[in-house]
Amino acid sequence: MSHSVKQFVSAVALLSAAFISGCDSVDPPAFRMNMVEAVSYETSSDYQQEIADVLGALFGTPDEPFALPETGLDQSKLTQSAGAAWSDEEGYNYGLYRKHCVHCHGVTGDGRGATAQFLNPYPRDYRPGVYKFKSTFNAAKPTDDDLHRVLINGIPGTAMPSFSLLPGSEVESLVEYVKYLSYRGEMETKLIQYVFNELGEDEEEADDGTITVTRIPLDPANDPDQRDAVMELLAEVVEEWDAANGMIVAPEEESIPADDRSPEEILASVEKGRELFYGKAANCYTCHGPTGLGDGQVDDYDNWQKAHKKFLDETVKMADKDELDDYEYALLGQREEVSESLYPLRNAIPRNLRQGVYRGGNRRLDIFRRIYAGIAGSPMPAGGPTGPGAKSALSEAEMWSIVDYVLSLPYEPASQPQKVTPKYTEAIAR
Amino acid sequence: MSTVTSDTHSAAHGEHAHASSFLKTYVFSLDHKIIGLQFLFSTLIWFFVGGMLALGIRWQLAFPWRPMPILGNLLATAEGGQIAPEVYTMLVTMHATVMIFFVIIPVLAGAFGNFLIPLMIGADDMAVPFLNMASYWVMWPAFIVMGMSFFVEGGASQGGWTAYPPFALTQGDGQFLWLIGLTLVGISSMMGSVNYMTTIIQMRAPGMTMFRLPMTIWAMFITAILQAFALPVLTAAGFMQLMDLKMGTGFFIPEGWTTNNNPMASGGGQPLLWQHLFWFYSHPAVYIMILPAMGMVSDILSTFSRKPLFGYKPMVYSISGIAGLGFIVWGHHMFVSGMNPMLGMTFMVSTMMIALPSAIKTFNWLGTMWGGKIQFTTPMLFAIAFVSMFIIGGLSGIFMAATPIDIFIHDTYYIVAHFHYVLFSGTAMAVFGGIYYWFPKMFGRMMNESLGKIHFTLTFVLMNCVFFPMHILGMVGFPRRLADPYHYETFRNLLPLNQFISYCAFALVASQVFFVLNFFGSMFFGPRAGRNPWKANGLEWQAPSPPGHGNFDFQPVIYRGPYEYGSPEVEEDYYPQTQPPPDKQEDVSQ
Amino acid sequence: MRRFWSVLFLLVPILGVATFVAAPYYNIWFPKDVSEHGRTIDNLFMFILWLTGIVFVATELTLFYFMWKYDEKSTKTPVKFSHGSHALELVWTILPAATLLFIAIYQMEAWASAKMQPPDMKPLVEVTGRQFNWDFRYPGPDNELYTEDDIVRTDGKLYLPVNEDVLLRITSLDVLHSFFLPNLRMKQDVIPGMQQSMWFKATDTGGYDIVCAELCGWGHYKMKGRVYFLPREKYEMKLEEMRREQNTMRAEIPEEDDE
Repeated sequence: MSHSVKQFVSAVALLSAAFISGCDSVDPPAFRMNMVEAVSYETSSDYQQEIADVLGALFGTPDEPFALPETGLDQSKLTQSAGAAWSDEEGYNYGLYRKHCVHCHGVTGDGRGATAQFLNPYPRDYRPGVYKFKSTFNAAKPTDDDLHRVLINGIPGTAMPSFSLLPGSEVESLVEYVKYLSYRGEMETKLIQYVFNELGEDEEEADDGTITVTRIPLDPANDPDQRDAVMELLAEVVEEWDAANGMIVAPEEESIPADDRSPEEILASVEKGRELFYGKAANCYTCHGPTGLGDGQVDDYDNWQKAHKKFLDETVKMADKDELDDYEYALLGQREEVSESLYPLRNAIPRNLRQGVYRGGNRRLDIFRRIYAGIAGSPMPAGGPTGPGAKSALSEAEMWSIVDYVLSLPYEPASQPQKVTPKYTEAIAR
Repeated sequence: MSTVTSDTHSAAHGEHAHASSFLKTYVFSLDHKIIGLQFLFSTLIWFFVGGMLALGIRWQLAFPWRPMPILGNLLATAEGGQIAPEVYTMLVTMHATVMIFFVIIPVLAGAFGNFLIPLMIGADDMAVPFLNMASYWVMWPAFIVMGMSFFVEGGASQGGWTAYPPFALTQGDGQFLWLIGLTLVGISSMMGSVNYMTTIIQMRAPGMTMFRLPMTIWAMFITAILQAFALPVLTAAGFMQLMDLKMGTGFFIPEGWTTNNNPMASGGGQPLLWQHLFWFYSHPAVYIMILPAMGMVSDILSTFSRKPLFGYKPMVYSISGIAGLGFIVWGHHMFVSGMNPMLGMTFMVSTMMIALPSAIKTFNWLGTMWGGKIQFTTPMLFAIAFVSMFIIGGLSGIFMAATPIDIFIHDTYYIVAHFHYVLFSGTAMAVFGGIYYWFPKMFGRMMNESLGKIHFTLTFVLMNCVFFPMHILGMVGFPRRLADPYHYETFRNLLPLNQFISYCAFALVASQVFFVLNFFGSMFFGPRAGRNPWKANGLEWQAPSPPGHGNFDFQPVIYRGPYEYGSPEVEEDYYPQTQPPPDKQEDVSQ
Repeated sequence: MRRFWSVLFLLVPILGVATFVAAPYYNIWFPKDVSEHGRTIDNLFMFILWLTGIVFVATELTLFYFMWKYDEKSTKTPVKFSHGSHALELVWTILPAATLLFIAIYQMEAWASAKMQPPDMKPLVEVTGRQFNWDFRYPGPDNELYTEDDIVRTDGKLYLPVNEDVLLRITSLDVLHSFFLPNLRMKQDVIPGMQQSMWFKATDTGGYDIVCAELCGWGHYKMKGRVYFLPREKYEMKLEEMRREQNTMRAEIPEEDDE
């Protein structure tokens, strides 16, 4: 017994000593590299380091973020959002992101915070710069107002709460920081692609015929050509975001239903919406199901999951190959490591329209925009034109009828017999 | 006198024990004393773990989102070393689970119950020694399962120690292991309680009538009954939750229930059912956690007041009363749960009534000290602290029992203050007192009085600094289990008070070093204690210190109750239970 | 040193009372009460606080006195060899029993009015707890919940009329939550699959915290909301504004920068 007692005493002593002396042993958080992209583009560890350095030079660190004037981001807002969530200082009002967002969205904004794996849907990965609930055309970036609206209303039906009770300036700071993380994420992917396409190994044949292989480093600080290229990539990112305000989907005045419609008119519109819902042009029922329960098409993926799926599939394909050289073998190892770190794939399930829960907001205009521009990153296609001046599958008036029909669905008993769809008539006729 | 027997006999016993293998003597021992000490050591280790978990909670409340040193890294925090909110929830859950199921219940029933029952009733061991050993070794799978749950995916249970479904059912393997662990603890308690009841009823020494039993034994007896009747309900409920969690049943799941966008569950059950079943066990469990402490305190108070226990029979009746009433008050945990409010009224009356036996006991403890000659030894100080703190804990309970007030203070820090005053400032004080008091009997050596008093003073002062301000927090409406309460306007100004509490809590944990030093130091270097260092009456003090195998080196015959201090019949101020009365003494010597 | 221990225990009642006396001066006390029955609850609390406070001080002082007086070293008289007193036991059984029973009966009225006698009206709002937000559904112009003109708000802000009876229907979408209004001294757990009601009458305008008081997951602390009490006409204006916003069909396009 005495032996175990001594062990226990020393264990207690060790643990308490560790606890007392262990203060300040925590490393400051760092941005994580987008490994799915890096491994897909076979970025070597030297290049990974150099890319991280360039990104550091362009965007700073989680504790001290900064943005070049070219980006148009507001430095003071970034400073307020970044940094540690806690400080001894009196009146400290920084670290908003790490106080409110980091648990789900992660320091890097990659949607891999500590809590992320338990959530369904997974928290948004900001790095591709794709956002679902916005007022712009499908392919366009969201406006600041759109991000703001999501923060204010939360996303019902998900774990995203409302932040409407934060002071307005703090919400604006967070919007700025989310954009910053998107800029950084997009820039990271562009750099990885740039390295893959433009840089690499250079073979040089000397006079005596020996071939020396040198790696061209990513070093925009000393290479003016690279510097220009990098700045151009950044400009591309910024330009897209800046263009968002010009890409807003606004319904045409004449197509907007009048406010003082009689019940009969509304009923007629609902009826028309129902026909469209099951019609060929809108084709809503294939995904949302014959009863609108969201059970029509349930094995598709959203863009974020598709990217992971592609990565996983390629990894499996590579592993199935019979012969691998050393380089491929090492790459496979990396791929498998990254694959293991990914969360399990999840299907994108179409909305159950009978619950009356609309993630992108429950204003009529919100529903209209979902139908008009689709939902970026998800399998939901645009019913309207994909960009300014493009051709539209449905007319705006038709889309308003679908809005009326969709909004009536939660109050329509699900047991009510549905219109027989052409698909089923054929099946019966046969 | 028959009581004075040389120690050589016990020494022979000791050698005999040493002859058998180490494993059989100290590990898989059937001896109730060894099993008691095994329980004691295990619970002390878990006490340390539970304390560390509490520090995590206090850290977050004092310095929200500040990266936490060492412990933070151990508990796999969010990026940047912050305590992630789900880790905070886990800390809260596991602190309560560890403290209740691995510390308080096993230290009272397991450690003290095992060690004291045969010694105090004059038996040579428990009725069924093998069952006794099994009750300890069943704890080990529970320890392992609970310890393991910290490392499974998603971490240990985050469902709160009350494990209210449907939230608990959204948990992963942590909750699964939590339920398994709880069931194992239940099995252990069940084996123990059956054994205790049998032993106390069947194995008392000649002359040891029920009303000559010390209060400790009465309390253990009633506790065993409570466990035997309440535990099956929890075990059944635990299995039902286990099936809901893993086998797709729907006892506690409402119809059409879905969460986190998962497919709908089969459902058709009722979440409130769990609360009824859980509290049907866990309210009696509250008394399982306090009655033995009350018994031990009664013994210590009487010994060091050098005076008979005031109102022995009323004490016994009030303990039994608590046990009876304890089964009809569970609803007071559920006043705002959505239960029919009419039931709230009924439960309010029964809850008010259960305060009565506690009041009677408090007055009797005061009566015991009245007119005595109080010796301020360390165990006595802890016992007095128990009385003083139990007054606070008892009185604050009345607020919660009053239903309209409970609407406001339910699930706030008021309840946290209340149960910590009962469980830490109450039971833990009694446990410390009991350790200081019976240490000589356990190890044959005395604990250091100076270190003991330093430990007492620091613990007493600091725990009041930690738990008393929590009443005030509760009055502000400060809810429990909030990872960051300060973004609510109402609670923003509570940060300084919480920091004060946290500093005191850190100091409180640190001050336990004096206990650890004293405990292990005295085990090897303490002065040797005789059979009866405190000049106490109890039967256990007539056995050798430490008692050998079979406990007594003579056949104890009991002539009176355990509290005859200052009896005019004898010259000394104590009158051991085994000492024959003057007129009978000659009969024996003949 | 001899009296040290008695004095240490004397500190308990002194500092205990001091804490409760000092707390209001540091503004750490009941949050501002803005409801009618909140006053009743506060008064009941204070009543029990006084009652228990007196018992607390009296017993702790008795304890101190016994420790001071019956210290082994200063007591020369032999101990009182007493096993108890039947009369005393009776006194301290009957007295507390009567007091406790009185407290219980005294509380029943307040409990009944807070939880058993809802006002005769239709609910003004349905409050839904979900992980991790409070959603509010106003019945809209037809005053019926779950019809097409309902107004659904997810921004955590609840608007209610002041100086009027308010009836809320509260429910949960996923797990247990507890709808807690500290300033109104109101709390009710919500259970998925069950509907609860809550009613009160606010006496002051302004915004007050909504807290979740039942562990509901990692985001428990994030379930913050705010209730605003408005005079009738402003309340109706607000409802109209929300209704119009929900029905909005025209996009307001921000003016493009010329830069």
